[in-house]
Amino acid sequence: MTPSALARPPAFPRVRGRTVFKHMALAAVAVVISFPFYWMITTALKSFFEATQFPPTLFPQEVHLENFATAWGDAPWTRYFTNTVIIAVLVTVGEFVTSILAAYAFARMTFKGKNLIFIIFLATLMIPSEAELIPNFVLVTRYLRIANTLQVQVIPFLASVFSIFLLRQHFLSIPSELSDAARIDGAGHVRFLRSVVLPLSVPVLVTVGLITSLQVYDSFLWPLLVTSSDAVRPIQIGMSQFRSEFGAQYHLEMAAATFVIAPIVILFLFAQRYIIQGVARTGIRG
Amino acid sequence: MRLKLAMIAAVMVVASACSGTSNTPAQSTQADIDLTGPVAITLWHTQTGVNAKALQDSVDKFNQTNGKGITLTLQYQGSYTQLYQKTLSAIQAGALPELAVGYESFVSDYQKADVCLNLDPYVQSAKNGLSKASQDDIYKGYFDTNRFPQFGNQLLSFPFTKSHLITYQNDDILKEIGKPTPKTWDEFEATARAAVKKGPDGKPIRYGWSAVTSASIFNGWVLSRGGKLMADDNKTVAWDGKEAVEAVKLFDKLLKDGVAYVPKGFDYQTDFGSGRVLFVPESSSGRPFYKLSFKQPINWSITSIPQTDPAKPRTVQYGANIIVFKSTPEKQLASWLFVKWFTEKDQTADWAIKSGYMAVRKSAAETDILKASWGKDDPQGKQAFELIGTSIPEPNARGQQDIRTVIEDLLTAVAAGKVTDIDKAVKDAGAKANQILKDNQ
Amino acid sequence: MSRPAVSAARRRRIAGENVLAYLFLLPAFVILLVFHFLPGFAAVYMSLFRWDVVQGTFRGLENYQTVLVGSRAQEFWQSLSTTLTYTVITVPLELAISLILAYLLFQKMRGRGIYRTLYYLPYITATVAAAVVFTWLMNPNYGFFNTVLEAIGIGPQKWLDEPRGLFELVFGAFGVALPAWAAGPSLALVAVAIFTVWHFIGFQVVIFLAGLGNISTEYYEAARLDGATERQLFTKITLPLLSPTTFFLATVATIGALKAFNQVYVLTNGGPLDTTRVLGYEIFHVFFQQGRIDLGATMAVILTLIILLFTLFQFRIGERRVHYS
Repeated sequence: MTPSALARPPAFPRVRGRTVFKHMALAAVAVVISFPFYWMITTALKSFFEATQFPPTLFPQEVHLENFATAWGDAPWTRYFTNTVIIAVLVTVGEFVTSILAAYAFARMTFKGKNLIFIIFLATLMIPSEAELIPNFVLVTRYLRIANTLQVQVIPFLASVFSIFLLRQHFLSIPSELSDAARIDGAGHVRFLRSVVLPLSVPVLVTVGLITSLQVYDSFLWPLLVTSSDAVRPIQIGMSQFRSEFGAQYHLEMAAATFVIAPIVILFLFAQRYIIQGVARTGIRG
Repeated sequence: MRLKLAMIAAVMVVASACSGTSNTPAQSTQADIDLTGPVAITLWHTQTGVNAKALQDSVDKFNQTNGKGITLTLQYQGSYTQLYQKTLSAIQAGALPELAVGYESFVSDYQKADVCLNLDPYVQSAKNGLSKASQDDIYKGYFDTNRFPQFGNQLLSFPFTKSHLITYQNDDILKEIGKPTPKTWDEFEATARAAVKKGPDGKPIRYGWSAVTSASIFNGWVLSRGGKLMADDNKTVAWDGKEAVEAVKLFDKLLKDGVAYVPKGFDYQTDFGSGRVLFVPESSSGRPFYKLSFKQPINWSITSIPQTDPAKPRTVQYGANIIVFKSTPEKQLASWLFVKWFTEKDQTADWAIKSGYMAVRKSAAETDILKASWGKDDPQGKQAFELIGTSIPEPNARGQQDIRTVIEDLLTAVAAGKVTDIDKAVKDAGAKANQILKDNQ
Repeated sequence: MSRPAVSAARRRRIAGENVLAYLFLLPAFVILLVFHFLPGFAAVYMSLFRWDVVQGTFRGLENYQTVLVGSRAQEFWQSLSTTLTYTVITVPLELAISLILAYLLFQKMRGRGIYRTLYYLPYITATVAAAVVFTWLMNPNYGFFNTVLEAIGIGPQKWLDEPRGLFELVFGAFGVALPAWAAGPSLALVAVAIFTVWHFIGFQVVIFLAGLGNISTEYYEAARLDGATERQLFTKITLPLLSPTTFFLATVATIGALKAFNQVYVLTNGGPLDTTRVLGYEIFHVFFQQGRIDLGATMAVILTLIILLFTLFQFRIGERRVHYS
């Protein structure tokens, strides 16, 4: 799948006269799919009593912006956001290193056992992650002694088969004339990687970085298990505090959900070209 | 390959090293030691929002005033379920905190690994323990629930966030329908029926009973009808008798007649606050949350749940306890000293006011702060407090968590109209529970 | 037979390249080994012992017997069956809806980018937050879903708390009682499936769009000249030529559905009446709720084997059936 297939508006199949109908269908689906977001934001603006009124109001009758402040005050969100950003940056940088090297080896080098190793890498995707939780917990707590740190949320994610696969596909597409020319110039793999491959891979690296960051942002169960104090906890833990043992403060839950979701939506709106292309190229499903 | 083998070996070592710390030296001496130098301990808890802040304030005070160099750190661990899951992992890794909050059923599971500290020597310690009078000041039921017959009747945890099953009653509706507070289940049924109001389309707009389907409430139904929860030998359940059948039949009948409904999550609080239901039998600890849901002030009170024999009222005790894990003698003692301090008269009264849980000591009722709170903001807190003596602990045998699921499944199935023969369904549930108890021996 | 002569320099270069390649792979390999393979082996190891909170005696394959035919068999097969039901609901639905959307989107039209963005948003939304929103939408008392049902004259539903089967509810509304085997998946499971479809549809649309972009326009032009109708274009050209993409998406979605855990964890915790307890959740439950490390590990090993077998099987079929242009 080439990226240009997405960038270029296709000229077919054109069905004349049905465009209006199609717009209606597409718009209807778009409304249905985006409705949860609308409902989240409007509930977040309602008073508790308006939120729990049945039938509900489609628009808030009074706007209660203070819900956001209340929800913000219920958990150390600033800390959580900061931690998440730090973890995301560290994971992304580290994953760049491991994935670029591994992907380059798979794409442009010949060595013994290449196919076997590639299959072994892919096989890790089949192990259900629930089964990995306890052994990994024991490993990081008892042996690596990094429980309740930021590292413990970084190190296990420093290699991603998805990123390796995505970069490998891209490296494969670099014309072999370039590597032939480099070899004639006497450049080895390291230099070719640094001075030719990487400069040609900036867009795809942006994609990898964004997808990795989104995954870090989404992580919940592992941080819940391996962190004990707020000093190192990420954002989703804050979200889960709103589903506590008592009380049903729906308007505050929705306010929290809004500011948890907002940053990634904004990031996505700015960078969607990269994300969608990367996804289209490899089929990453997180 | 060798690396891989080494790693597997490492995992195996982890595995075999998990059998818990087996230090059982004479604890009578351990409880009597002196603390020298600073001791840092950690408590895993589940409190959020206002309660979390109250707990933190209390802990800050303890850290400043204990005078023994003890520093306690609070660590929030998510919901009780998440805390439990995490503790199980921590047992595997040998990385337990010094203290954790938990239900009795958690303790039975943890104790498989022999990690919970027997608190008896600490309570009895002449130097660091509680006097006889002080022990008697704590409600007996609150001690009983933390004794584990399965583990030699040791005191493996201590009351922390206690409450019990009571009925929230909307006095305005009661006045409107001209009925007194029901004392028996029959009166309860009649009163609940009288409260039902239907809209023009025939759908109920007001119910008599918000029937939360939890195992604890079911246990309350059984106890209040004079039934028992466990057989005396603790090997089989006793809740599967005629009391349960009668209770479930009432539940089923009132659901079908549109007098009762099963609420989602904590919605019963909102429903109560907006006058959509007359009775909500639920935990006494929810009071602050009910108040949040009052749009207009309403007249309401807390009463005993209905009884077969109102002269001998019985209900079910709820709530979590605090567990001290085995560690070093110093940390164990430091942990106990916190538990002891936290359950002293003033602290338990303070915690009761701020959190809505019950004070664990009778003498707390004499404190000025609790009197003031009951007089002004929380008269219902007093009504609930006066019912503590009627509350009976739930079973704490291992497998109780799964048994709770069996009970809740029974109630869900009834509510979904999936049960035709209630006598049989109750019997089947009892048989299932007995099998669970057997599997967990 | 003598090997073709290779110069010493070339051999050195090959050896050097081998070493360099392994060095390149090493960092990623170490991480995958430590955090994915070792836990996998550890699970196998744990499944061979009695391990009830703490490790006990070696039991060989007894745990497998317990899970497959013994005292845990009923709950194991039940959860496997729930998993398969869930897979059968979500995968075709996701594929069908996203294929239609992609096909509609795949033309020069105004607002194409906006539609694509809107369809894709759920996919990037954090799961816990999205689940909080859906739980609210599906609230039996105050939820928006019930408002809609009310408006079209259907009574309120309990959604994530409803253990009764979908068909049971539908026929029940007309006073027809169905036998238990025909009750269908619980409404709760359907509700989890709705969430899943919502969450993943944008992803599928994007992949289908890329697949459509790879079909050469010449096929369509030639067919048009031959007087083919729109429907024929779709069934005779689009569908067959898109089959590698469809196949890929089906594989990914199926593996995802078989491993499903997060959705269930955040929405229903396996309830009501265990009707949403898919195998991924069952494993977690046995591990972390019951402390039965041994049985949880056993189920995890079995699930891994099922996924492995399924993948091999699907690739076999794929090789034979899929039309690669």
